[in-house]
Amino acid sequence: MTTLDTPRPPADEAPAPIAGKTPAWLLQGEMAMCPCGCIGKRKKGSFVEKTLDGSAGLLRQVMFGEDIAERPGLLQRIDPRAKLLSLIILLIAAAVVRNIVVLLVAYAFTLVVAYFSAVPVGFFIKRVWLFVPIFTGIVVLPATLSFITPGEIVIPLWTWQGQPVGITSQGLTAAGLIVSRVALSISLVVLLTLTTPWVELLAALRSLGVPKMFVLIVGMAYRYIFLLLGSVTDMYESRRARTVGAVKHDKAAREFVSSTAGALLGKSHALSEEVHQAMIARGFRGDVKALKTFAFTRADAFYMLVVVIAAAVIVLGDQQLGR
Amino acid sequence: MNEPILECIDVSYAYLDKFPALERVSMQVHAGEKLALLGANGSGKSTLLKVLDGLVFPQSGSFTAFGEPVTEESLEDEQMSQGFRSRVGFVFQNSDAQVFSPSVREEIAFGPLQMGMGRDETLTRIDEVLAMLDIAELADRAPFQLSGGQKKRVAIASVLVMNPEVLLFDEPTAALDPRTQEWLTGLIEDLSAAGKTIVHATHDLDVLDRIADRCLVFSEDHRIVAEGTPADIMGQRDLLLDVNLIHHHSRPFGTATTDPVTTA
Amino acid sequence: MHIPDGYLSPATCIAGYAVAVPMIIIASKKVQETVKVRNVPTLAVLAAVAFLIMMFNVPIPDGTTAHAVGAVLIAILLGPWAAVIAVSVALLFQALLFGDGGVLVYGVNVTNMAIIMPFVGYAIYKLIAGDSHLTSPRRVVAAGVAGYVGLNVAALATAIELGIQPDLFHTADGTPLYAPYHLAQTIPAMMLAHLVVAGFVEGIICAGTVAYLQRANLPLLQVNHKDVPLTEAEAALRVKKRISPWLVGGIAVGIMVLLTPLGLLAPGGAFGEDAPDELPLGDLGLNAVPEGMARLNGFWNSAVLNGYDFGGDAPVLGYLISAVVGILIVGGFVVVLVWGINKVARKPAATDPSNTDDAAHADDAGSRTG
Repeated sequence: MTTLDTPRPPADEAPAPIAGKTPAWLLQGEMAMCPCGCIGKRKKGSFVEKTLDGSAGLLRQVMFGEDIAERPGLLQRIDPRAKLLSLIILLIAAAVVRNIVVLLVAYAFTLVVAYFSAVPVGFFIKRVWLFVPIFTGIVVLPATLSFITPGEIVIPLWTWQGQPVGITSQGLTAAGLIVSRVALSISLVVLLTLTTPWVELLAALRSLGVPKMFVLIVGMAYRYIFLLLGSVTDMYESRRARTVGAVKHDKAAREFVSSTAGALLGKSHALSEEVHQAMIARGFRGDVKALKTFAFTRADAFYMLVVVIAAAVIVLGDQQLGR
Repeated sequence: MNEPILECIDVSYAYLDKFPALERVSMQVHAGEKLALLGANGSGKSTLLKVLDGLVFPQSGSFTAFGEPVTEESLEDEQMSQGFRSRVGFVFQNSDAQVFSPSVREEIAFGPLQMGMGRDETLTRIDEVLAMLDIAELADRAPFQLSGGQKKRVAIASVLVMNPEVLLFDEPTAALDPRTQEWLTGLIEDLSAAGKTIVHATHDLDVLDRIADRCLVFSEDHRIVAEGTPADIMGQRDLLLDVNLIHHHSRPFGTATTDPVTTA
Repeated sequence: MHIPDGYLSPATCIAGYAVAVPMIIIASKKVQETVKVRNVPTLAVLAAVAFLIMMFNVPIPDGTTAHAVGAVLIAILLGPWAAVIAVSVALLFQALLFGDGGVLVYGVNVTNMAIIMPFVGYAIYKLIAGDSHLTSPRRVVAAGVAGYVGLNVAALATAIELGIQPDLFHTADGTPLYAPYHLAQTIPAMMLAHLVVAGFVEGIICAGTVAYLQRANLPLLQVNHKDVPLTEAEAALRVKKRISPWLVGGIAVGIMVLLTPLGLLAPGGAFGEDAPDELPLGDLGLNAVPEGMARLNGFWNSAVLNGYDFGGDAPVLGYLISAVVGILIVGGFVVVLVWGINKVARKPAATDPSNTDDAAHADDAGSRTG
């Protein structure tokens, strides 16, 4: 049991922000932190250190999200099930649209909704754009060339084997389409998660037919990520305390990652045994029972109506404007 | 004395069939008493608590609760299991393992809902237990936003909300700051005064006379080697040295008599 | 490897869900049958581990980073069905809370990373580990190669999903509506990064963890290896055989060769009839995927028949050359990897992140009693 006592939650040092009193520094920086971050630039210092630093940012980001979710605002008043359903409807609408103008207008609307939902608009824009859409933009740039997307060349660049090579209008449209669609889709998801407390989001998933067992596992995983993160940080710090100089280098850090995975799994396994006992001790027999019940109000029905109309306008407008 | 509510006879248990944790332990718990299990780390007191809570099952010997044998098979029965789980509550040493839900409110609701209590009654009870433990403002927090002491309070709330007759505490005051320790000691006294049966494992001897009226002492080879009132046990310096509860440099306890041999 | 919303057409997303949802349901049932309620916390904690593994971005020499998924590792430790649940949960978590990977494409991401990857990896692990004893270095090699190949097959699936978009979904004048790159571009781009770097990250994590558990936490390794003899002595009746790097490399090359025709979808229409049969996934115990692939194949085919001129300057030959080069590279890397692991596995591993926590399960059990 002693092995599980050591991790200290970072929350001990940093008290949770009180609703509405989030300091300005919380609204900036660290927002580029992305737990996937499949591609990114390397800076000095080992990546392990950066990931662990990032984890503190992750924690802040999550807490800040919970903070916004408790503010009074437009979306905060809506039933989470209605929000989840409308997210899916709007995402599908965004996915079928083929006109950049329609996508951009819809994106502008997300900014308005964010404003009325007590989400700081500057923060919202950064949070949405900093990672995926900008990355997407860079990645699709070469796709505007006639090599990849053949078509009508609007900016000729050079000729190759007698054929003109350049940026095609089809390529530009395609790049614009994907970047604006990605930005709109991410905005919709971020709006939902910023204005809905995590617990309610889980309850909404459950009441929309996601198996209870699956939702229970998601909730518990969420809870233990932060605990295990604390363990990893402790392991890293105790290792750094015993190593001179070497940890700066990525090679040593790589060794750390593979040996940590083993220790982490062992620790996790022991933890899960104990959690299992704690659940059994309070009468868990494999059947999940939820506390939260929702009441679908008239406001929710109205909201759903608005969403459906908005989705219809998006799709019809798109067809009117041509493809 | 009244009939025991929990009783172990000749219980032995070994982890993975290789690492012994309990060697032929026999003991009883009586209604309304405060029983302390004393022993060094690894002496078997946590394992005994898990036996008493029906979480691990003796490899030999028997465990009976409220007159019914408790075995893996008997707990398969839903009625038996529900009855037993609602009458015996366990506060784990590791609050991180015990507090597993995404929010404090859901955590406390877990037990009552599993027991089939209605939603409205559950919600009322949650508010009451939160107020009682002075943590009402934490209700909608996520566990990772809590300090160690707060987590302990939530863990205790999640057990108290089920209103069990018997409360098992594993190292309740370990790794807590002095103020929280003092609060918890007071809580145990209050719960006992309210008629609850308390069993706790500890190696913290400072407040033993407040939170126990009977003690069982484990040796490092996983047996019970002594039984007595806190004053009895604290007086036997040789015994405490032998079972690794104190060492030679420990100061004598304030409560202990200067004479190392007690008259019992 | 996380595809965000907006890169794939709704039809592809639906196909992804058509594969993912039944698989998750089957996985929940399978997992509940085997160890019942105990699995709830285990899977939750493993999902958290998968999330953390995905969070560690390992820098690679060209200045970008790659991360492992952990799906193969979880499959080795608790079986592929457990991995399906754990990785799906981690992905859901990322999609909803961090906008990493999308909501509509969730089914596709699950298919790649939570279904294809653990099953392929697990099959390879089984194949290479054979009947070796549990503490054998051969299992370490098997885990390493399984992680490497599993991640690469998942990356290949991702590349294919992205690469079919412009050919299937475009306007009348040829403007791609979703991801604009063709198979001839997505496959080399994805595979280069994953073959050369990310695959090794996954492989090293798998091999390193299995090696670590062999010396530090055998009981955890035994959970999914109940009938495997523990030591060499127990396995004495069987002939001991050291793995030939060439054999393993050959197997990896074989798999890649089998998968190659998938890529031909880009330059030609030949895929429609035969490719799903060539997918080795069915042999690996993956029955639902071919169904999903067949569905996908159906509408690829119809779109192909619509007479779109495939355009692009990517002839079949170019694709085949890049495939051959890619396969040679993988084969070479696998040979080196197996050789290296064979060497490393012989000597006791040197580094431990934390002395306090490593102390085997024995200590764990001991401390629990206190």
